[in-house]
Amino acid sequence: MKKAPIYPFPAIVGQEKMKLALILNIINPGLSGVLIRGEKGTAKSTAVRALADILPEIQVFDNDPFQLDPEKEKEEFHSIQAALGIQEKPTLPVVTQKKVQVVELPVGATEDRVVGTLDLEYALKKGEKRVEPGILAKAHRNILYVDEVNLLDDHVVDVLLDSAAMGVNTIEREGVSFSHPARFTLVGTMNPEEGELRPQLLDRFGLCVNIEGIQTADDRVAIMERRAAFDQDAETFSKQWLEQSRQLADQILSARKLYPEVTVEKELLFEIANTCLEVGVDGHRGDIIMLKTSKTMAAFDGRNAVTSADVRNAADLVLPHRVRRQPLMDIAENVQSLRKRATA
Amino acid sequence: MFTNLYPLAAIVGQDQLKQALLLAAVNPLLSGVLIRGEKGTAKSTMVRGLSQLLPELDVVQNCPFGCSPRNGDVRCTSCSQENAVHITVKKQVPLVTLPLNGTEDRVAGGIDFPKSLQQGKVVCAPGLLAQANRGILYVDEVNLLDDHLVDLILDASASGINRVEREGLSFTHPASFLLVGTMNPEEGELRPQLLDRFGLCVDLKGEEDPEKRVELMLRRESFDADPTVFIHQYERQTDMLRQQIVQARQALDLVQVSKYMRGFISELCVENNVAGHRADLVLEQASRAIAALEGAHEVTFDHIQQIAPLVLLHRRREAEPPPPPPPPEQDNQEQEQQEESPQEENQEQQQNEQESGEQDQGQQPPQAEESPDEQSEQGEEEQPVPMPQVEKEDQVFAIGSTFRVKAIVSAKDRVFRRGSGRRSRTRVAQKNGRYIKSTMHQNGDLALDATLRAAAPYQKQRGSQDGMAVHIHSQDIRGKIREKRIGNFLLFVVDASGSMGARGRMAASKGAIMSLLLDAYQKRDQVSMITFRRKEAMVNLPPTTSVDLAGKLLAEMPVGGRTPLSAGLAKSHEQVRNYLVKNPTGRPIVVFLTDGKCNVSLGQDKPVPESMLLASALARDERCRYIVVDTEDQGVVTFGLAQQLAGAMQAQYFKIDDLKAESLVNIVKGQSV
Repeated sequence: MKKAPIYPFPAIVGQEKMKLALILNIINPGLSGVLIRGEKGTAKSTAVRALADILPEIQVFDNDPFQLDPEKEKEEFHSIQAALGIQEKPTLPVVTQKKVQVVELPVGATEDRVVGTLDLEYALKKGEKRVEPGILAKAHRNILYVDEVNLLDDHVVDVLLDSAAMGVNTIEREGVSFSHPARFTLVGTMNPEEGELRPQLLDRFGLCVNIEGIQTADDRVAIMERRAAFDQDAETFSKQWLEQSRQLADQILSARKLYPEVTVEKELLFEIANTCLEVGVDGHRGDIIMLKTSKTMAAFDGRNAVTSADVRNAADLVLPHRVRRQPLMDIAENVQSLRKRATA
Repeated sequence: MFTNLYPLAAIVGQDQLKQALLLAAVNPLLSGVLIRGEKGTAKSTMVRGLSQLLPELDVVQNCPFGCSPRNGDVRCTSCSQENAVHITVKKQVPLVTLPLNGTEDRVAGGIDFPKSLQQGKVVCAPGLLAQANRGILYVDEVNLLDDHLVDLILDASASGINRVEREGLSFTHPASFLLVGTMNPEEGELRPQLLDRFGLCVDLKGEEDPEKRVELMLRRESFDADPTVFIHQYERQTDMLRQQIVQARQALDLVQVSKYMRGFISELCVENNVAGHRADLVLEQASRAIAALEGAHEVTFDHIQQIAPLVLLHRRREAEPPPPPPPPEQDNQEQEQQEESPQEENQEQQQNEQESGEQDQGQQPPQAEESPDEQSEQGEEEQPVPMPQVEKEDQVFAIGSTFRVKAIVSAKDRVFRRGSGRRSRTRVAQKNGRYIKSTMHQNGDLALDATLRAAAPYQKQRGSQDGMAVHIHSQDIRGKIREKRIGNFLLFVVDASGSMGARGRMAASKGAIMSLLLDAYQKRDQVSMITFRRKEAMVNLPPTTSVDLAGKLLAEMPVGGRTPLSAGLAKSHEQVRNYLVKNPTGRPIVVFLTDGKCNVSLGQDKPVPESMLLASALARDERCRYIVVDTEDQGVVTFGLAQQLAGAMQAQYFKIDDLKAESLVNIVKGQSV
């Protein structure tokens, strides 16, 4: 089957904040997800798909529903086989290459589909366990894209965010207890007019971006032109951007390598702590994520030290949805102004 | 399993919670710790850390309930048999997280499907309570837990024994565990029975000190970089803590509490006006645990004072009902005036509408602009005159004080729905919720007990070919019917005409709506809002779960103009119809906030009869439930139009005060729910 052509990531006009947040999360999945709040038709899913497309392929076992890493997760592979009661073959399965996928979670998804479940009818008739892996298994080492995350059932969101934070998914149903690794980049989108996420769930998303349609006429024209060119001849269009795509992919890869070496001066750590205190965030998740974000930003830039600008930029992505508020208040739009008000 | 856990010793700050957890680990009689407060304050991390910290347990090998091999301890049926041979093995203290959506059979125990079929008899599968025996049961967001699960846990934690009696199962096993719950009070309160079950309660806050916050970030980052090395760094401290716990556990029995100290404890409890005696008992046990941790042999004042806040925090009651939060100034003023001469006003209203309007004007200098409006309006009620060309300036009133509202639920029926929330009970087409009975209908949610019963009569005929003890054919399969609470659709229809602006009515009404909205938020309802004033009704807020938005709109809602009640009724019908088209199984609840007075009609009829006619037409739709909240001043004489309206549409009728959960009058009584 021929795949539908994918719009090249660098060709997306504007929406810099969203693009940056996505890239940062790809570099460091420890940022635990991006929440994109905003209107329809602002290239949200295009951007996610495009980003996945330029990423290097991952290695997996052939036909493994849990997408384990053949190098680092051999142990897990054995324990899952044992838990499922599968007779182990003497040799490990063949290793193949696979593209990073964007796994979508539909709004109507039930918990069974997300977490995975035990096929009871099969168990009844054959007397054997058969676990049907859910979407979280599929999302391991991939990108999980949840459209309209605010319309999902609360407990489904809970399960999602728990797995995203812990990197493990546990199926606990009908007498089955079974775990498998589930580390993925979580991307959620929502339209705030249709209802907010509960603050607890909001807080679990590492980064949050508010996006709106682009207002300048020039950019809007550019969007139309590029889209038209892409629709007309996707192949030629993609070729034009190939070089830039490759550059970005290289940049992401080298940032991943650089990340552990990035250092932060004591002074900047205090700046992070003080920013969080001044704007008034609940708990410490804000601080921790902000530190990680600034480090990732530095790594993405090819630097091995965090600067004050990194911290400021990180605040814009990390804090807006964390500022303390009453249940019936709006989400903060602008962190800098909040901070000014707090210090004044 | 796949993760390394952050060590408890490496947690920065949060000393109170650390202490509470250690105490509960030392003295099992404390039975639980409730953590209230902000998210992102290392709650789960600390509880997980605690389970790592505790010394390993001696357990009977292969006992699913983790029974102790020591004679004299409470044990499960198989372990307590006289001739049972116990092989002792070491086991890590179990930490069991209770998922919010757990099913009853998963929590309390159910049938082991594959084994039952292979062996041909019912085999029990231990639930989470069995797993948690002698360990920690951790419930995140315990206030959002389903009621029937709360009951199960309460029962087990009170008696230390879990009894399973359902689906043809009957077994008992020990289930004593340390219950740790977290909650955010904004999301709804905990039931008092469950609240009391937690021995200690800690209010958590983030660290305020930047130094500590920096330290915390650094530790977390180095943990994430290499967990193994990090854990190793803290090994010595972890060992020390572990030692401390072990020693304190041994010393606990030796700690004495003098009579004098007991007197002090009971004095403290009486002073704080706690309910029942659990506080006294817990406080004594907690101070003994502190003394044991510190290596003291006797409980001192200091010990008691140290721990008293944690014990009394969630049990303290005010001697009198707590004063309502100070309402906004404007509101205050109005209320005072209202209190000054309600009697007078009402008499005058009775005498003459016109005059009463004038009276308002005299009494309310700050509201002068609005009074003439009302005057003309009330005059019109008698004899319709052409609308005044110039509308008076609109006013925006602050939101009055809020309160907890009475339970409003829609009736139970046989329709299956999907969704989550916490308002009305309904049958659900999902796999969570309580299993109430089985059905022939195959819905993918298999009911094993019923399936086995259905297959039982045919076992002889079917014979054995495949080594299975039980032979199940497709026609035997039964599905479960489950029930749980889900959110409703609440439509607010608010009278925003000038008459509502008088004498603080609007502030009070807004307070009432706000209270209902907060309630709707906690129950995860969908809300929508319609206001009617001047000539028409408007949908201010299309159906949304964003109660935030509704609250914002409410605060900005202007008041003024005449009262087109009929238009409001018609609009509400339109909105309900649209909703029902989209959600055929939905059961909307429509809340009218009005004084019932109206002076603008849709057609040629007079406003009042027209609205009554419309109201009775609305009552014909049985899928929708109506509630009328009367905002009229309650004096000696009232028009009671809202009550008539409620009668016409067969609605439940409340006055604002009746809505309050504390008020004694039970309006719901006598309602066909």
